Amino acid sequence: MPHDLPSHIAPEAIYFDGTSSRRHRVTLSFGERLLLQNLEGETLASWAFGDLRRADAPSGILRLSNVAAPPLARLEIRDPGLAAQLTALCTGLDDTGPARHSTARIVRWSVAAAASVLLIAVFGLPLIAERLAPLLPRSFEQRLGVVVEQQVKTLLGDRVCDDPAGQAALAKLVEAVRSAGGLDDHVAVVVLSSGIPNAVALPGGKVLLFSALLADANDPDEIAAVIAHEFGHVAHHDNMKVLIHNGSASFLIGLLFGDLSGSGALVFATKTLITSSYSREAEHDADTFSIEVMQKLGRSPKGLGELLFRLTGKQGGSALDIVASHPLTEDRRDRMRSLDAVPTGPPLLTAAEWQALKAICKRS
Amino acid sequence: MNEMSSVPQVPMVRSGSFCGSRAEFRRLVLRGGLLELITLGFYRFWLATDMRRHLWANTTLDGDAAEYTGTGKELLLGFLMAVAILAPLYIGYFLLGIEAESLQTFASVPLVALFYLFSQFAIYRARRYRLTRTVWRGVRFWMTGSGWAYALRASLWALAVLLTFGLLLPWRTAALERYKMNHSHYGELQGRFEGRGLELFKRGWWIWALTLAFLIVPSLLWLPYLTIVVLPALPVLFALYRAMEWRWWLSGLRFGAVRLQSALPATALIPLYLKAIGWSALLLMGFSLYLGLGGVVITLLTGGEGELFRPEALQNNIAMLVLTGIGYLLLIVGFNAVMRIYLLRDLWAKVVNTTTVYGLDAAAEVAAQGELATALGEGFADGLDVAGF
Ligand SMILES: [Zn+2]
Repeated sequence: MPHDLPSHIAPEAIYFDGTSSRRHRVTLSFGERLLLQNLEGETLASWAFGDLRRADAPSGILRLSNVAAPPLARLEIRDPGLAAQLTALCTGLDDTGPARHSTARIVRWSVAAAASVLLIAVFGLPLIAERLAPLLPRSFEQRLGVVVEQQVKTLLGDRVCDDPAGQAALAKLVEAVRSAGGLDDHVAVVVLSSGIPNAVALPGGKVLLFSALLADANDPDEIAAVIAHEFGHVAHHDNMKVLIHNGSASFLIGLLFGDLSGSGALVFATKTLITSSYSREAEHDADTFSIEVMQKLGRSPKGLGELLFRLTGKQGGSALDIVASHPLTEDRRDRMRSLDAVPTGPPLLTAAEWQALKAICKRS
Repeated sequence: MNEMSSVPQVPMVRSGSFCGSRAEFRRLVLRGGLLELITLGFYRFWLATDMRRHLWANTTLDGDAAEYTGTGKELLLGFLMAVAILAPLYIGYFLLGIEAESLQTFASVPLVALFYLFSQFAIYRARRYRLTRTVWRGVRFWMTGSGWAYALRASLWALAVLLTFGLLLPWRTAALERYKMNHSHYGELQGRFEGRGLELFKRGWWIWALTLAFLIVPSLLWLPYLTIVVLPALPVLFALYRAMEWRWWLSGLRFGAVRLQSALPATALIPLYLKAIGWSALLLMGFSLYLGLGGVVITLLTGGEGELFRPEALQNNIAMLVLTGIGYLLLIVGFNAVMRIYLLRDLWAKVVNTTTVYGLDAAAEVAAQGELATALGEGFADGLDVAGF
């Protein structure tokens, strides 16, 4: 047994044949090939120098494998002189086999992969979302709308305001905006009693308007412009586009950064950058839609910007749509102010109807 | 007197030793961390491989060092396989979520259970991969068993642990380790696990009780400041538990007639955790200092009129954003390096150096056996962000 000898009488080398864990003490003889002989002089293996490869070992030990031998066969040399002698004879000792790696290649391909994923996220996904969103069946959109509506109601209050006179005024306003915007009649507006001034378009065409927005509005034009903005989202299928775009962007980015530990914030930042630039475009287009509707109705489009500016002055960012601070509120206001014109069309609501609309949440 | 006479007359008592250079490992993780940054994380597969190669190759048992034969490419492949399976699953999960939500708001929570099952599968298969890449004396370790059977057991046990506020944790650990070890082999030697849950419980119940008390009492008494007082105790308790668990785990390992014994002192890991926390705090302080200086410099350069420190003005400053981004990324590299040096390398060294092996003569001539396993589990573990050993 090898361990019976004190360890300081070191054999020249130790050989493991890769088929058993037996520790063979061998002497090496250098000729045409490397001969591994045990202490009885038996030849255990004959290795070609060119087949030898360096394997991982603690410092001070040269550990060799052989590409032509069993994959786990190892020769270990602890004597520095012998190790140097053998190293000089082996030509392919540090050949990176298919198993080991070249750092430069990994860096190159990683950067290429990352660039390609980011390009897809920035340029490809918007195109895909653009084409795919209108193709989704309306039933799917509406089902999704039900889910979102339930969540919004759970979070923000679920009392639907239904004062009859207010309902009638709302219906008149919505009808004016709807026909001017050229939408079919699957769209609807519901007022929810809530202290948060906001509005949101649901997938499937329903728009939720929170009562605090009505309280903050100065005239019917402002509310009409808000509704038109939300209808713009409906007409452009923005919900589905954003869902497809942001969902797949999140997936791609998450995939890319994987578990680079502590990447949570990095993933979040990248996602936010990519998705917010996309939503900013959607908001801009919805504003355009609102402006066009208001112009068609012969009313000034500036109301939306004024209302928004008043709201963001009051409270900061909000998760829901209308005050989501994507495009800077000042920029939006200035854009709409620049289009301000003397009204050419009739008022959208009479003074009495406007009062009724503002009081839509009062309980009878 | 020579030293031999003090060794008990048990055949083959050998101790493990770790002889890796700390400076070399530090270089490895710092370089690897920077490469991880440059490659946006893709280098993680090769860094993990290089760290394991270093740890394995410098771990010596009875004079012979182990070897890790896994490759980064295998991990990358495992990751891609996991993505191929997880991607449709994520979409299915999303659609299922919509269906479930339309029935009842926020009803999709139980679906999380499915992902727990997957992560346990990942833990088992990742261990299997690592074990089959572990070679000692020219013979590899290997592992059989079903990842799904394991995942089911692990999930049921997790439920039991949850229902008992953690009381059953030692029994869960023991049962799962028994399953893993009963399917582990070194060549022709069959593994098993002889650690008992009760034993771990007897040693560690007070840690469990203290932790529970620390977490519950302040909130019961409405004394939030008490939480702040006991908060520093939590890492110490955790370090005590980890040391206890390592010692119990190693002492329960068997391969045929070979058995391990760990003499890891109960307090051995406390300095490591405290150092890791201390370094992290230092890094955070450095980061804030850097941000503050950066802010001042930018404000001075752009000729800030009036108020010097207007945070909202800085928020919209591109240069400041870039500075913050770079600082943040370097902070992550620093954090990762600290974790890897103290909680991986140093911990490993302490554990190995306090381990003794008995009955090694049974492993003097073990015939090689066993198949290599794929890195699918590693891929799942990567994709689901779980870790196990
Ligand atoms: Zn909008």
